[in-house]
Amino acid sequence: MSQVLHPIEQKILHALLDKSDITQEDLSVKTQLSIDQVRRGIEWLRFKEMVQVKESEKNYVKLAKRGLAAFESGLPERQLVNYLRTIPVFSCEMDQARSHLKDEFGPAIANAKKNGWIEIYQNRILLKGYHDATAEERAIKLIATKDPPMATSDEIGDADAIESLKKRPEFITVACTKNVLVALTEKGTQAAQSTPVFQDSVNRAIDVEAPAPLVFAARSHPLADVIDEVREIFVSLGFSELVGRNVQSSFWNFDALFIPQDHPAREMQDTFYLRSLSSKSVASPRHVRQVSKAHQKGWGYGWRLEAAKRMVLRTHTTCVTIKELADRQYEEARLFSIGRVYRNEKVSYKHLVEFNQVEGVVVGEKVTLRDLMGLQMEFYRKMGITKAKFWPTFFPYTEPSLQSMIYNERLGKWVELFGMGIFRPEVTRPLGIKNRVLAWGGGIERIAMLRYGLDDVRELYQNRLGWLRSVPKCQ
Amino acid sequence: MPVITLYFSRLARLMGRRIPRERIVSTLPFLGLDIEEEASDHISVEYSPNRPDFSTDYGVAAGLEGLLGIKTGIPVLKIKKGIDSIRVEPSVGRVRPFIVAIEALNGRLDDETIRQMIAMQEDLHNGIGRRRKKASIGIHDLEKIKFPLVYGTVERNHKFVPLGSNDTMSVSEILANTETGKAYGHLLEDSKKVLAIMDHEKNTISLPPIINSKLTEVTTRTKNLLVEVTALDKIIAEDTLSIIAQMLQKGGFKISSVRISGARNSTPLLSPRKMLLDPALVSGVLGLDISPSEMMRSLKKSRLDAKMRGRQILCTIPRYRTDLSSPIDLVEEVMLGYGIADISPTIPKAGSAGQKNRVTAALGATGEIMVGLGYQEVMNFSLVGRKEQYELPGRDASGALPVADSKTQEHEILRDAILPGLVDTLSRNIHESYPQNIFETGIVFLKGSPVSEETHLACVSAHNDANFTEIKSVLQAILKSGFGMTCTTKVSHNPMFLEGRTADVLVAGRRIGVVGEISEHLLSSYKMRVPAAGFEINLSGLIF
Repeated sequence: MSQVLHPIEQKILHALLDKSDITQEDLSVKTQLSIDQVRRGIEWLRFKEMVQVKESEKNYVKLAKRGLAAFESGLPERQLVNYLRTIPVFSCEMDQARSHLKDEFGPAIANAKKNGWIEIYQNRILLKGYHDATAEERAIKLIATKDPPMATSDEIGDADAIESLKKRPEFITVACTKNVLVALTEKGTQAAQSTPVFQDSVNRAIDVEAPAPLVFAARSHPLADVIDEVREIFVSLGFSELVGRNVQSSFWNFDALFIPQDHPAREMQDTFYLRSLSSKSVASPRHVRQVSKAHQKGWGYGWRLEAAKRMVLRTHTTCVTIKELADRQYEEARLFSIGRVYRNEKVSYKHLVEFNQVEGVVVGEKVTLRDLMGLQMEFYRKMGITKAKFWPTFFPYTEPSLQSMIYNERLGKWVELFGMGIFRPEVTRPLGIKNRVLAWGGGIERIAMLRYGLDDVRELYQNRLGWLRSVPKCQ
Repeated sequence: MPVITLYFSRLARLMGRRIPRERIVSTLPFLGLDIEEEASDHISVEYSPNRPDFSTDYGVAAGLEGLLGIKTGIPVLKIKKGIDSIRVEPSVGRVRPFIVAIEALNGRLDDETIRQMIAMQEDLHNGIGRRRKKASIGIHDLEKIKFPLVYGTVERNHKFVPLGSNDTMSVSEILANTETGKAYGHLLEDSKKVLAIMDHEKNTISLPPIINSKLTEVTTRTKNLLVEVTALDKIIAEDTLSIIAQMLQKGGFKISSVRISGARNSTPLLSPRKMLLDPALVSGVLGLDISPSEMMRSLKKSRLDAKMRGRQILCTIPRYRTDLSSPIDLVEEVMLGYGIADISPTIPKAGSAGQKNRVTAALGATGEIMVGLGYQEVMNFSLVGRKEQYELPGRDASGALPVADSKTQEHEILRDAILPGLVDTLSRNIHESYPQNIFETGIVFLKGSPVSEETHLACVSAHNDANFTEIKSVLQAILKSGFGMTCTTKVSHNPMFLEGRTADVLVAGRRIGVVGEISEHLLSSYKMRVPAAGFEINLSGLIF
């Protein structure tokens, strides 16, 4: 597997190939990288086992004030020798030399004697034959001529000289430094040889203004969000949720709601019937008998049980609520149901064969049409819709019936939304429901279209990831 | 819903005064009319079929007059007793036993009036007449008719010149070749003889419910009309006739009765009905504290009559208001006359807290976990096409649940699995960036009596490295995080999946679904180049 090398790593490898075992500082100079970049690069390369780092301690010797002076005018003992050589007999009185050398007299005498350059005889200093440069002098010269003026003890090579210079006050300072030497491993050598020299000048800045690759958050379907929102609002208004079946008998979908068996809505052009399927028993015998009577009396035709048994895909969720009300005989209740309903329509930008509907009912002895209007306004207020009004309309199973209109700012016009009404006595009485039932409901897709600014309802079920990924969830 | 066109100039003439256009436009919805289209000189409105009197601008004008306070109370239908008669032969008894008729005299028909009349006739045929099955209407030029008429039957080889033709045709030819013959011929069933209205000189006047004769065609020169309605039901026949009579009277005709004789038939009176209304019902239902006299004023604005009888309101309902069958209908008339805009909403207090159904709550939580696993939710229909559901995936179609007479092949069967739809969804997104991880929860339908409905979860992952192990990890995660369950996978065979990379999903030894890599065959039939893996499990047994 090939290893990708950062430009910094490439530069360090090439510098080391040129000269191994060098310090980080030297690498910094050679590569023109900052010391931080060098340190970082070395860490990376060590991890990749391309360089090894050797640490060692080193003493650096520098000249102090008197050391520097000694480099200019010699050590005290050398100054003494030089002085003596200026006197014809190569000797002088002790006091004579003391006044010449001043503070240096003491060390000068002591060291010159130690070096065997002089003899003291009856208070006179006598210069002897040989006075070659000492190890200390060579060390001073070495240090002083270096740039910067410092040298390691190794370079000086004479530990005694350093020791004796150390004993002289203010001649030298010795500092201990940890030294890091960097060298290529075999792997590093190969990598350096196979990696072309990085040409570009080192620039760690990137184009922070350039676009980054797109990633998409997974999320719930926008229509599901609207359904959830509607559900939450119903719950907050004190409604409990019912879940019912999608496949229903015609009895609960139509007959129980006083929709006559020859009503156009029951024809196959409008309703999906399940082929050759009919329900065995649609309801309790009493309910069947009462509903049948209501139809005969109200619509004046011969009601047929067979027609009530045909299975349909529910055309509204009202079948779920009405069955619950018939089964449970509530005195008071607030119930709602959300689910798919089906209409045998031609699919178009405004019609689907299958969509979601919500329906709520309020059962109570004293509930009124004004309450129904109020609940509606409250529902819209919670949906963020403030402009709503009511117009009359017709539904076979409610009387009075209203439709609500809401003002849509984007379209700049009033849009029909939920329908509502009070269940007719012809609906409630046969099923033994004693109190009034307020009911309202409508399609949720329509709300979703308004919410997401869609003009084609089909978009909601096309599942184009482009759209699903673009709809903001938090607005 | 039927649509009619209203010309502002005609409305002004019918109402006898010019009302500002904005006032008309803003009042129409309070008659229950939905505005479809507005133009400079006219407006199109949709009306509900329960108000067939709105099938002409005459009826709409009467309604507007009431709400605007121009004329209130019942529009009286004056019927002069006529001398002409129709005799009904017993032979019509089985097919279409009833006929009623009126004459409309000394009127004027311009093009727009004829257009309104024809449109009304069609709307009545389709609505109250149930596509002519229950009732059909014939409007004739009275001058061409020699009374008395006979409503009887003729042989199928009987010949006359039908409306819209210049040639003499036999009944059989008319049924086979004319537009209305083809559309409504089935109503005659296969009886040997067909219905006919013949005049005294043996001229054929009409072939109900198919077509009139050319002889009695109505034109702008026609001054006097005969309107006849044949029907299965006497009440429906009279309902229909009353609506037309009211319209023609408003249009300036004098109405005269036509005597009917024959078994079960009689001359229609078209007289108003009476109905009692309890004021307590009105205030109880509407929640309005208004006096009975206010209620009566409102009823009159809805073009009804009302007076007190004891503590009850006695309403008089014109014959054409066929939609008013019980006191609750009158409550709505009070509401309309009072004015919905003047009724202020009230908010009733809830007696108890509401709650979500636990099934939907659990499904919501399932979705949350799938999203947490990086899966995008999608929503497909449960009514699907045979091709995506069975043919392309090569699934067994013996469990297919078809619906009758779907208008489109894309929605002809109820799905029994979600996953085929998800693969279809992927195929429609091949131009979008990958990875594509999608899921759906929803109902599937399984054949049986009754049909059973299960809630399923399905998901699919599509990208270059999609594989069995990856999707099994997701399956394990949803079962663990969602339901605290572990599953085992047992090798199985499924045409949707790659052989050798398919397994049944078992929880506590019970099979709850299937997991695998989508078969190359299915992917290639969708022209997909990216591999995909997915699973589908039944949640119904797990959570509810």
